[in-house]
Amino acid sequence: MDINTALQALRDPFGVPFFPWVFQLLMVLTFALHIISVNLAVGGIAVSVYEHFKGGEYNRKLSQMLAKVATISLSSAIVLGVAPLLFVQVIYDPFWYVSNSLSAWWAIAFLLFITLGFLAHYVFYLKRHKNPAGYGLFGLSGLVFVLAAGVVMSALSVQALVPGAWLDWYSANGSLVTTGTTLYKFELGRFLHFIVPSFINIGIFMMLYAWYFRPRADIDGAWLDWVGRAGVKVAKIATMIEIVIGFWWLVMIPADLGFLHNHWLWLGSLLGLLLMVGLMKAEKDPERFAVPMALLSFIAVFGMSAAREVLRMVYVGAFKYSIYDYPVNVDWGSTALFLGTFVMGLIVMAYPLIVVFKLGRGRLSES
Amino acid sequence: MLYPIFEFPGVGGGMIIAAIATFHILPCHLATGGFWMAWYLERRGHATHDQELLDYIKRFALLILIFCFVTGSITGAGIWFASTIISPRAISGLIHNYVWGWATEWVFFLIEVVTIYTYYYTFGKVKPKTHMRIGLIYAWSAWISMVIITGILAFMMTPGKWLETGGFFDGFFNPTYWPQLFYRTMMMLAISGMFAALLAGFMKSGPTKTYVIKTAGRWGLISLSLGALFAVWYYFKLPANAHETLSGVPYDQIMFKISLGIGAVMALYFALLLTGREILVKPVLALLMIVVMFVGIGGGESVREYSRRPYLIPGVMYSNQIVAHDLEAKGIKSEVTRYQEEGFLQNNYFVPPEWRRIDEKNYMQAGMLLTKANCVICHTMEVNGRSSLPGLVTEMGSTSASELNDFLETMGEDYNFMPAFSGNPQERRAAAAFIASIVPDNENEPPTAEWVVNGE
Ligand code: HEC
Repeated sequence: MDINTALQALRDPFGVPFFPWVFQLLMVLTFALHIISVNLAVGGIAVSVYEHFKGGEYNRKLSQMLAKVATISLSSAIVLGVAPLLFVQVIYDPFWYVSNSLSAWWAIAFLLFITLGFLAHYVFYLKRHKNPAGYGLFGLSGLVFVLAAGVVMSALSVQALVPGAWLDWYSANGSLVTTGTTLYKFELGRFLHFIVPSFINIGIFMMLYAWYFRPRADIDGAWLDWVGRAGVKVAKIATMIEIVIGFWWLVMIPADLGFLHNHWLWLGSLLGLLLMVGLMKAEKDPERFAVPMALLSFIAVFGMSAAREVLRMVYVGAFKYSIYDYPVNVDWGSTALFLGTFVMGLIVMAYPLIVVFKLGRGRLSES
Repeated sequence: MLYPIFEFPGVGGGMIIAAIATFHILPCHLATGGFWMAWYLERRGHATHDQELLDYIKRFALLILIFCFVTGSITGAGIWFASTIISPRAISGLIHNYVWGWATEWVFFLIEVVTIYTYYYTFGKVKPKTHMRIGLIYAWSAWISMVIITGILAFMMTPGKWLETGGFFDGFFNPTYWPQLFYRTMMMLAISGMFAALLAGFMKSGPTKTYVIKTAGRWGLISLSLGALFAVWYYFKLPANAHETLSGVPYDQIMFKISLGIGAVMALYFALLLTGREILVKPVLALLMIVVMFVGIGGGESVREYSRRPYLIPGVMYSNQIVAHDLEAKGIKSEVTRYQEEGFLQNNYFVPPEWRRIDEKNYMQAGMLLTKANCVICHTMEVNGRSSLPGLVTEMGSTSASELNDFLETMGEDYNFMPAFSGNPQERRAAAAFIASIVPDNENEPPTAEWVVNGE
């Protein structure tokens, strides 16, 4: 039995309950939202810890603000991560499950890292005033754990793309490797390509922050100026690094996959360049550019998520696997249930978000 | 076709899922039930202008936020990851049937995350009416996420009409759905009563504290009593096979008794709380009660897990992830039959190529693979492991390869909690040879390679 046949046979016997492209679309969209949250969490923790150790009144204040943002972003990242994880298991189940079974302990370690990262960060956030140096270490370890979790996730995704290697890993030294202790494959370029945007996005977030709180008389305007300027600087440097890393990763992708000729790739790169140009202009007046830059970065992340999926299709296509011929057992009722709930959910969520938005801008009378 | 096997040393993978699942239940039931309590108390706090009570609720909300929401979502993901590595095909099967159910639940998770942070960070900063409305949105969405997940959990026990139609809602609204939903709802309220008591222990003495203690007792007692009624209903809806396991397997009986006993202890504790005595909520005592409750829940959940055996998806997929029977509605064919006729090794990809054809050199290794694929989900291979295969075989007393071969041939019929062996006669002999080889101090002659390969 060869691997191409095996991939077909590994597909779930129940088939999928709706057209595969719908799951694919949802996966790309929700992954983008997930990665934005991850970026805000990682960038938030990193800059927060940095400013914390740097000291100074403004720095500490920024640090405290970002630490709080990071707690919310971490929660959102977890919840938003559920959806792409669900959809990938619907259409790419053979790939995901093999990769996880072979590195089982790492899948467990991922959870451990997230938990420890979360706890460490909460300690840093809630207790930091007591002993800045000591609790700063909690902040630092929070960052390390969250990054470690990212490394594992990235490795599991990369392993999933190389079916040709699986059986060799599983039957190493003429035996059966059922221990699941090895992480087999990791691509630094790919990992960095998803992590460096943390600094782009947290930088833009800081610009947004300055813009958003400007109307508030009770917030120090000079501080807001400082935050906005610091933000645009972080974002600009990170964008430059991201472009370099993008090219580096690109040369690492096997040339015979022909990804270089893919128009999604070039669209993504174009968005990156646009962002760079925009940020250079924004240096003069961060607040005025905050909203357009945020939108542009948002679109760029969606482009990145789409390019990632196209790359996956190229990889699995080499094994004659296509999600579009996954057997379908259409279930209209449950599909309608989800879509209806989804629309309703967006409406319901708008309410607390509006309350918060108005409150922050000082447009809601206090009780 | 099976995925690569992952062996969890010593205790076995099933135990890990159960452990995470038990730990998940506390935070997740509190996350779902706690806000009903918070809403109830907040209304009273505003009505009576009781600042102390409002401060208490804020602390309660922080507890829910950090302890429940965070650990609840991580352990929830934990059950999923653990199932992914221990029985990927089972979780895959569930997902391919219920992906829209989970996706719907996920929408409510989103609402929860938005509302819980809003609730906490706007405490005292917005009008009470607005604030309580946000709390209520959280409470409803958390409960609805339970409404959804219960359908999928209950489906795994009693798939009902789904077995004929394959329809989403036929499986969802299955015979044990309603009893389970009501039972879990009551448990969620009881658990939030318990946590309210725990937190009351940190308040300073006074009428507010007494009020909270009494309220916790009342919630706990009422919901536990109603929960007991629903549990009886639930029990009677269980399929015959589950009743048999419950009266036949000692471990299952013990767990069942433990959970009943603890239910009674909890009821007594809640009844005492009605007196409002402060000593009852001293943190040590309250924490102890939480641990007790945790054990009770663990017992109840393992009864649920056990009663599904030997299936993961009843009537379709065995615990070892092999498709047991045809399912016409979904066009699925039994794998057990195919493996028994055509062979397991030939029909699976994750087999080292040198082992695909059994011969004098590889039969022991092939036997190991077959044994693990068939049994490792419920038994460990270590002599001192939990539910140890060599241990059980020794106790059973049939330790020669040929006796074990006979055992494997009929195990699916002789034991209603074990699946039939998947493999052709030659593969069965290889597995028997391997099992005999791991029995400690086996006095029987090891089988000859000739017997394993050719059957004589
Ligand atoms: C669905 C879970 C499950 C699977 C799969 C399973 N078993 Fe069991 N087995 C059990 C349970 C439960 C018991 C009862 C354990 C006890 O009494 O402590 C048991 C008991 C046994 C016993 C003792 C029987 C006796 O009469 O004393 C043997 C031997 C055994 N199993 C062998 C196997 C072998 C070999 C396989 C794989 C081919 C296997 N089991 C697969 C659940 C399973």
